[in-house]
Amino acid sequence: MFERIRELVAEKVGVEPEDISMETSFTDDLEADSITLFELVMAIEDEFDIEVDDESIEKIETVGDIVRYLEDIII
Amino acid sequence: MKIAIDAMGGDNAPEAVIIGSIQARDEYNLSLVLCGKEIEIKRILEKNTSNFNNIEIINAEDIISNDDKPVLAIRRKKESSMVKALYAVKEGNADAIVSAGSTGALLSGGTLLIGRIKGIERPAIGSLIPNMSGGFCLLIDSGANVDSKPEFLYDFAIMGDIYLKRVMNIKSPRIALANIGVEKSKGNKLTVETYNMLVNSQLKLNFIGNIEARDILKGEADIVICDGFTGNMILKTMEGTVLEIMKGLKEEIMSSMKTKLGGILIKPALKNFKRKFDYSEHGGAPLLGVKAPVIKAHGSSDAKAIKNAIRQAKICGESNVNELIEESIMRR
Repeated sequence: MFERIRELVAEKVGVEPEDISMETSFTDDLEADSITLFELVMAIEDEFDIEVDDESIEKIETVGDIVRYLEDIII
Repeated sequence: MKIAIDAMGGDNAPEAVIIGSIQARDEYNLSLVLCGKEIEIKRILEKNTSNFNNIEIINAEDIISNDDKPVLAIRRKKESSMVKALYAVKEGNADAIVSAGSTGALLSGGTLLIGRIKGIERPAIGSLIPNMSGGFCLLIDSGANVDSKPEFLYDFAIMGDIYLKRVMNIKSPRIALANIGVEKSKGNKLTVETYNMLVNSQLKLNFIGNIEARDILKGEADIVICDGFTGNMILKTMEGTVLEIMKGLKEEIMSSMKTKLGGILIKPALKNFKRKFDYSEHGGAPLLGVKAPVIKAHGSSDAKAIKNAIRQAKICGESNVNELIEESIMRR
């Protein structure tokens, strides 16, 4: 799961996958704004054929938050 | 060419938007997709034209207001006129979109639903500011990205250059960087680094150096680039200054019989001056960096302003602005 998310994050934010860990913060490390975060969420929704609720999006701070959220709802 | 119109967006919507759309269809030979409350759209159409050719209606019961959080509104208000119009473009039912609704929502929707041009990290809004020499200046970014990097500003210069060449027929647009002084070492880290990138650019950009905000109205540059925070401050300061000066002048003229007589004599000159700053002549503000033409018309647009914004979307689509931006971004 982490690998797939890492690839998507790297593509959307424009960084190398190696630079992304579970602890990577979207705002502090990747300087991602709200539109970039939503772009990523929409890419994840397409990739996994799911719908992420807005309340959960607002709680996302790190890459790990997304991975754990997906593990919870998919597995 | 087919253009999607957010029929419910703007202070004078839907009436002014629909009348402007009818005028644009007739003058520019276009097909339109009007998105909004079908019953209202039909009522206004029937009142203003007997020709319903090349007009498609997509019913949308909801409206995105300026109080809605932009990104969330795009996701939650799927039945809104703006989101329906954006989807019309995303799904290939229309080639461009015009909206006088919430700027933030249009920016978010354009980026999220239509998508960024490959290589563009941050789409930006370019506002056309009329100047004293009778022309205008494209201020980019005028509010899309409050925080920017030198790379973004460099991209804004590339996008603005192509836009003015193709849409406004300016051969070699003069590009200036908004700053607090004209010397190259002036400003902050962002402006100094951007300056160096523009000077050393491999692309044939006509970069003329820094410009101070007070010189923008003189018409010394065709494009002024800056971060969205600065751009929005420049834009709003200018709008407010012009409005307040005109208001103050009117009050002075009306204050006594003597000044009233003088006012009659200078009325034509004042009218001419006011016309120079009429936003409705120049169309709307393009959102540059997304895959299809997105034009944000002024919130208080009348029918004429809407018609001109639609014309702008048409020229933008027909002159392949977005394809050219993508090519230039690849070569930068």
